[in-house]
Amino acid sequence: MGAVWRKIADLLAITFIAVGVTLTFDTFLIYLTTLFLIFTIFALSYNIILGYLKLVSFGHSLFFAAGAYGVALFASWVIPDMLLSFLFGIVLAAVLALIVGYITLRHSQIYFAMLTLAFAMLFYALLVKWRDITGGSDGISGIPRVSTLFSFPTTETYYMFVLGCFIISFIILKLIDVSFIGLIFRALGDNESRFKFLGYNPVKYRILALVVSGTFSGLAGALYALLYRAVTPDVAYWTVAAEPLVMSLLGGSAYFMGPVIGAAVFVGLTTATARLAEIWQLVMGLIIAALLLGARGGILGVMERLWRKRF
Amino acid sequence: MLELLIHQILAGLFRASYYWLIASGLTLIFGVTRVINFAHAAFFVLGGYIALTIDSLTGNFWIAVAVATLTIGCIGVAVEMGLIKPLYKIESLYQLLITFAVTLIVNDASKLIWGAASRSMKLPTELAISVKLAGRSYPLFYFFVITIAIIVFIALYIALEKTFWGLKVKSTWRDVTMAQALRINTGRVYTTTFFIGSLLAGFGGASMVAFTPVAPGLGDSLIVTAFVIVVLAGLGNLFGAYVSSIIIGIAESMFLLFIPELDILLIFVIMAAVLLVRPWGLFGER
Repeated sequence: MGAVWRKIADLLAITFIAVGVTLTFDTFLIYLTTLFLIFTIFALSYNIILGYLKLVSFGHSLFFAAGAYGVALFASWVIPDMLLSFLFGIVLAAVLALIVGYITLRHSQIYFAMLTLAFAMLFYALLVKWRDITGGSDGISGIPRVSTLFSFPTTETYYMFVLGCFIISFIILKLIDVSFIGLIFRALGDNESRFKFLGYNPVKYRILALVVSGTFSGLAGALYALLYRAVTPDVAYWTVAAEPLVMSLLGGSAYFMGPVIGAAVFVGLTTATARLAEIWQLVMGLIIAALLLGARGGILGVMERLWRKRF
Repeated sequence: MLELLIHQILAGLFRASYYWLIASGLTLIFGVTRVINFAHAAFFVLGGYIALTIDSLTGNFWIAVAVATLTIGCIGVAVEMGLIKPLYKIESLYQLLITFAVTLIVNDASKLIWGAASRSMKLPTELAISVKLAGRSYPLFYFFVITIAIIVFIALYIALEKTFWGLKVKSTWRDVTMAQALRINTGRVYTTTFFIGSLLAGFGGASMVAFTPVAPGLGDSLIVTAFVIVVLAGLGNLFGAYVSSIIIGIAESMFLLFIPELDILLIFVIMAAVLLVRPWGLFGER
């Protein structure tokens, strides 16, 4: 019994805090927690590539934006229904992840970082260029948070929807982490030659990992678009992919909970240092450099070294 | 029609030479050190900014280019020695990440120093002449850049193929452990390569700023084009990169003439097509 409780302790803790936040009735705090939950999904999905496969992706801004624009485009051109457009956004991200994975992961993973960046920039350019469909640099606004069955008119009610999505995503990603497939991904990241020697096909599993990762990034993007009820091409710019990267490194990319801790610290930092928004990239660059040279294990890695205990 | 064709080919060659000045350093550094320098295009743009400042101080284009080139070369060495060197021994993931961090820092720092508006400087009078060719006039700067690109190509060829230093670089390129066993100071070879690669970036950026304005974000689109060229040639294939620069340059220039809407898509279509048929690049080894 105790073992079961320990296994789901992290989820229970986050849910407890997240529900506790609603009881404060503080709109700003609820908004911040919504952001935290969305970015946690984004960072957890990013860490499948970074932490398990040990690859750097700059294409996650593409999947995030595909989720966001999928929602916006479906709602404004097909049916203005929240649930359908939400699902469309996720599917679009998954399909794009499959295509990008198929083109970039077949030969060498050295290409991966460069080519995912190239695809992200292509997507950004298309969003800006096809004004008639995507609204160009103005983006699309007025995304409905109404479906036939439910509606989430306020930030507080929408928060419950995000929390529900978060819990489902967290459980799925945690199951992947502890299951055979998570082990497979880690083995592939640790040593490709041995992985091949065991008779597995590395390309297949890399593409699978990217599709899983891209799908949840798309989910995060869709939630993000619905939070603001608007999208602009800024969500597709490649530096967006730097955010989950920083979160994962900050918390510790070798740990499942690393991206969660990282996202909490990151959202807190961005809010506390809102005045630095102009030079935020510079700050992120300095954080990454400091982490790489000083603490590659991130916050959890440092804590582990201090207490000699695995989290 | 012929006149138009010549015009487009010339414009394409100019574009190709511009790209080559970026891609050559990137692929040289990768070939030798196995580090993909994400900050390479940021260095290129930084070279342009430094040249701008020196030019406004001294009023001399040539001094500005020389100072900017050397400064970027030194920045490249500083980044390699201070940030990348501690990370050579561990997974390549971290080397990539550190150059990415440098990109973010350089981008925002140059925005902070030189502002968000796009800036350019005036061509020196000796280059601001136009030349008549096949019924049209072209800026002399076109021929200047094309010639420079060819000189860079020949200089790299001689340095790598005809000198003892080139032999050391090539043996490091092939097999680091073996090169070390032969008492080649591979650490110094790495640093020198970073110096030369960054010199090329600085020189390219400084000379191009006289023709195309620099702005924050320019590096982001340039690095993508440089990546596509390098991947097209096969990673680390230096001389193949010249050929693929020319392919991309001329293809862009031709397509802009006939189907202007496709300009962004074009290089991606070429890249995706090559990667699907020959994932190791046009000139790469399987």
